[in-house]
Amino acid sequence: MLTKRIIPCLDVKNGKVVKGVNFLGLKDVGSPPDMAEEYSNDGADEITFLDIAASLEYRQTTLDLVSETAKRVFVPLTVGGGIRSADEMRDALNAGADKVSVNSAAITNPKMISESAERFGRQCVVIAIDVKKVGKGWEVLSHGGTRATGLDAIEWAKRAEDLGAGEILLTSMDADGVKNGYDIAVTAAIADEVNIPVIASGGCGKLEDFYEVFTQTNVSAALAASVFHYKQFTVMQVKEYLKDKGVPVR
Amino acid sequence: MKVTIADYGVGNLHSVKKAFEKNGAAVRVAADMKDLLNSDCIVFPGVGAFDSTMGKLLCYKEDIKERLLSGVPALGICIGAQILFDSSEEGSSAGIGAFGGRIVKLSAERIPHMGWNTVTTADRLMDGINRREFYFAHSYRGSADNPNNIIGTTEYGGETFPSFFRVANTYGTQFHPEKSSVSGLALIKNFIAFAEENA
Repeated sequence: MLTKRIIPCLDVKNGKVVKGVNFLGLKDVGSPPDMAEEYSNDGADEITFLDIAASLEYRQTTLDLVSETAKRVFVPLTVGGGIRSADEMRDALNAGADKVSVNSAAITNPKMISESAERFGRQCVVIAIDVKKVGKGWEVLSHGGTRATGLDAIEWAKRAEDLGAGEILLTSMDADGVKNGYDIAVTAAIADEVNIPVIASGGCGKLEDFYEVFTQTNVSAALAASVFHYKQFTVMQVKEYLKDKGVPVR
Repeated sequence: MKVTIADYGVGNLHSVKKAFEKNGAAVRVAADMKDLLNSDCIVFPGVGAFDSTMGKLLCYKEDIKERLLSGVPALGICIGAQILFDSSEEGSSAGIGAFGGRIVKLSAERIPHMGWNTVTTADRLMDGINRREFYFAHSYRGSADNPNNIIGTTEYGGETFPSFFRVANTYGTQFHPEKSSVSGLALIKNFIAFAEENA
């Protein structure tokens, strides 16, 4: 049986892993290769490396860091942050990423999704979607959650799937960093509407939050950052907890 | 013995290279597919799509097939295993044809099949491996003409599909041992021992 994945996320800025609340107020918590190796040894099913500064002058430095990180882990590595074209995606794959996540550039240029899927295979194209509750639905935000796009989250997720996305990394901006649990409503809605794997992200603060998102939605994976960075619990503890509750994990 | 990894020129081979090196193998990366014809042990890594992966291999396909069927130890991973079949629904190119059969789309509703899943097998490459979950990331899978070539299976979306193949001394894994942590590294270690016995 396919198991549910637990994915620690490294938000990287200026070469360090950082963590903030609602995308603001960042603190340094460690070095990406060290933390990736530690999580991988502890049973992480995958590691996500997000370059949250994504500035042009640090692009090569970031690729070097991705390469250092990839050398230290024997589980899949997803890399994202500021990727603007299929060629930049190729650079990340060549640096050692197994999958690449694209956010704002896919909104500006949706053709990039199909082009990347054709070149590299859809299994390595992850579309990251940041959403916020607006009225009765959810709106997609771009550029690290700073720009409203007017796109409906469910419609955008379905379109990304049609264009060739292999997976959706869904972050609720309302839930992110506040440790009050994943946003069940939007996660369930999107995971039901698409037929590609969905990763829930944003809001994990306690063990029960993993159980809740896996039993109340059809997500394939749950991503978390601060609970692991601040050693509130380990990946192994999450797995043991879920296994006891009957959720299939590795 | 030296392990030769085929570089089809379409993707990164770091993870498979480092997994073999971690297990003490001497590795050569071959950008010229002609080099596969004088190798003791060949690895077909899992990067790219069917047609792009076959691009550089096409003109040597008969020689490679003959070499595999004559018993040179080899391992094909994911798409690297799929191109060892005759053809694929994913593309129009011919495959190597060492594994008789075709590559077909998974029947599950949610694809790609992505993540860690169990491989059920009694093959020696799994000796000493207690945790049999391996990492998968694919939408297509092999359909072997000869059931004896299927040595392991996996369940996904209500379907039990073949995920582990062997013909002569050529193994094919639909999963990625090089990304499957401790269990995957142990399988590669077992494969290296197998290849040394049979090289």
